[in-house]
Amino acid sequence: MRRAARLAAIGLALSATACTEHLAAPGLCPTYCPSDSLAVRDTILRAAISRDTAYGRPYGYVNAASAPYLLADTVPGVRGSHPIFRTPPIGTRTLIGSDTTTGAVIGVDSLYLFLTIPQRDTATHDLAVALYELPHDIDSTTTFAALTAPFSAPPVRAVNVDTLLAQPGHKDPASGDSIIVDSTSTRITLALRLDSADAPYSTADSGTLAFGVRVSAAANAHVEFASSELSALGPRVNWYVKYDSLGIVAHKLIPVSLTGGRGFDGFVFDPPPPPLNGTLVVGSVPAARSVLRVTLPRAIRDSATIVRATLELIPAALPQGLAADSFDLVAQAVLADFGAKSPLDALHVDTTRIYIAPTDTVRVEVTNILRFWVSDTLIATTLVLRQAPEGADLAEIRFYPSSDPVRRPLLRVTYTPHFPFGRQ
Amino acid sequence: MTPARLVTLLACALVAAGTARAQDSQFGIVGLGTPGRWESGHARTGAGAFAAFDPASTVTETALAEIGSLSASVAEGATFRHLEGPGLSSWLRSTRYPLFAVGGPVSSGLFVGGGYSTYLDRSFEAVTRDSVVLRDAMEHFTDAIKSDGGVSDLRLAAAARLGSRVTLGVGLHLLAGSTRMTATRSFDDSTVYFTVQQAGPVRYAGLGVSGSVLLAVTPTVSLAGFARRDGHLSAYVADTLVTRSDLPATVGGALRWTPVANARLAGSVMWRSWSRTGPNAFDTFNWTAGLELGRAAPVRVGVRGGQLPFGATGSAPTEWGVAAGTGRVLANGRGFLDIGVERLARDGGGLRERLWTIVLGLTLRP
Repeated sequence: MRRAARLAAIGLALSATACTEHLAAPGLCPTYCPSDSLAVRDTILRAAISRDTAYGRPYGYVNAASAPYLLADTVPGVRGSHPIFRTPPIGTRTLIGSDTTTGAVIGVDSLYLFLTIPQRDTATHDLAVALYELPHDIDSTTTFAALTAPFSAPPVRAVNVDTLLAQPGHKDPASGDSIIVDSTSTRITLALRLDSADAPYSTADSGTLAFGVRVSAAANAHVEFASSELSALGPRVNWYVKYDSLGIVAHKLIPVSLTGGRGFDGFVFDPPPPPLNGTLVVGSVPAARSVLRVTLPRAIRDSATIVRATLELIPAALPQGLAADSFDLVAQAVLADFGAKSPLDALHVDTTRIYIAPTDTVRVEVTNILRFWVSDTLIATTLVLRQAPEGADLAEIRFYPSSDPVRRPLLRVTYTPHFPFGRQ
Repeated sequence: MTPARLVTLLACALVAAGTARAQDSQFGIVGLGTPGRWESGHARTGAGAFAAFDPASTVTETALAEIGSLSASVAEGATFRHLEGPGLSSWLRSTRYPLFAVGGPVSSGLFVGGGYSTYLDRSFEAVTRDSVVLRDAMEHFTDAIKSDGGVSDLRLAAAARLGSRVTLGVGLHLLAGSTRMTATRSFDDSTVYFTVQQAGPVRYAGLGVSGSVLLAVTPTVSLAGFARRDGHLSAYVADTLVTRSDLPATVGGALRWTPVANARLAGSVMWRSWSRTGPNAFDTFNWTAGLELGRAAPVRVGVRGGQLPFGATGSAPTEWGVAAGTGRVLANGRGFLDIGVERLARDGGGLRERLWTIVLGLTLRP
């Protein structure tokens, strides 16, 4: 009996050693391989894209007043762009102590204006920033031409960023201007010290300030300042005000920012963006998008597996601007097709880079999107082309639409038909 | 049979059936699969020579007449397989439970049995490298075709003793099973070309009948003859019939000689018309011979040879093997444990397979 038990134990132990499967073997083909294999087909779908159109002019998906950056450009012969902003009022009275007693603001001792540059264009050298006083009635309808006179006046302050950066501590001891360098990122913040002559406190305006910024450089100047839409990095002011504290002139710091819809910031630029002209427009400000409807053949959508899919677009006009204007062109699926207001699907996105250079064809790999469409045949097969991020670039690109029989958008699809399971 | 015993046996059958398969072979890839052996652990340790006279094996129905009482048997095989061919060498391993059988007498001279055995095994994974020109560039890729599953033979059999010398048996065979097939292509340039993986369950169905006769020529010599006819094997994908393959007919015979009480000799031959199943298929002739010494703790040795049904080079691959094993009575005769080892060599078309299989068989008489 003990011997039998031993035998059983040995047998079980030996069997247990082989309990894990390993059946993968290099195929000896074609002699001892399955007769069928996955086939790969590559096809160009010339008529798959239809009902394509562009949206976003004159009111774009992102406009100058809602853009994440305040674009400052001085590119002679190409364009000029000036950030403008208006700070919210600080009021005519301020709290004196810890209770509710207030005293009248009687003037400003000085103030610091902070402008953040999230990322510098390394091609822009000898960058100078000039601050101009603007009328307080600027808003999102203000045009470049309407501010010609203020920008023709002498600037309130002009600083050379490169010179300031070269100073010890990045600070000009004479003017009090400085640059705060963020050692953990590429971000720098200009801190311009203005006195009561540069930015006088006006009781009638409750301390509202309005400024415009013009940049210049050794060659083409291009800077993006953070706007109030970009976290808390937008323009902000630290007022050092003088106020009446029960008959005594006292000083106080009042910080003011534009976040939360207080005040206004945006930019004006020239020339204005051309209108939509039937082409597929993507980018610029106001930000334009193009919507493309795609009809996949049933054989592909129902039973094939997409290996690679490329959207091929032929530019109707070359992208204009500086090298720094290069931007990401995003092809994005939609959650539902509501035309211009189609909600975008954040999970299925394909991207390519558009460079400011001559190009004959722009190719966007849209494999993610097509695989998503094939996985659920009830999903709207609509693509939206947009710039990323929108409102951060004045460059745009225009493609020929499907109404152009020769240069229409194409879809090139590499796919595998359904494997013939069940055959020998 | 008491209800408790019946439930116990059925539970054993269900548990074992969940993982039922036979040993695999690369030769089966080009055909319907690798045929199962229909042999219990007891018979397998003697290279199958005693299978035609073994009630736990499913080669013949007449062997049921040798069951003294209700019994159930299960077999397990753990296989280490070395594969060798032009440019390839690989060790593979698998564990299978290829057979479960239950049977017993229902009245004087009448015996019934049931169970399953592997009819075809279709478990394999073939990995290949190749390239294709896509968009004017050569793209290299790796293909993997994987199949996991097989076709089981669910048998209902009956045997009747006609006098003291002759026993007749008939069987009905329901062929059922499925495989989960997966085809994967992975491009080397995975940043541009996505990996493709398609999977599809394939369901199989078929029917067969069999008959056998056992003749006690003398008190020490028995002859068995058996024949089987299987119809078609239908393959369904998503309930759509995709292929319908003819299945082979089987005829065979076996001889057992017991010259002394503690020694038994046996041999068998079997012919199957696999060539009718499709291309790359050949009729097969297989033989076995074996010796068993002892009763309470018998020692068995056996040898087998023959062909495999599927090959791709104009002739059937060959198979040759030896097996040895022993057994022990357990629990005062209520159980019997068999353990053995089998060495197989398969050759054909430049491909060589060498297998070591550890065989385990357990028979219970509740």
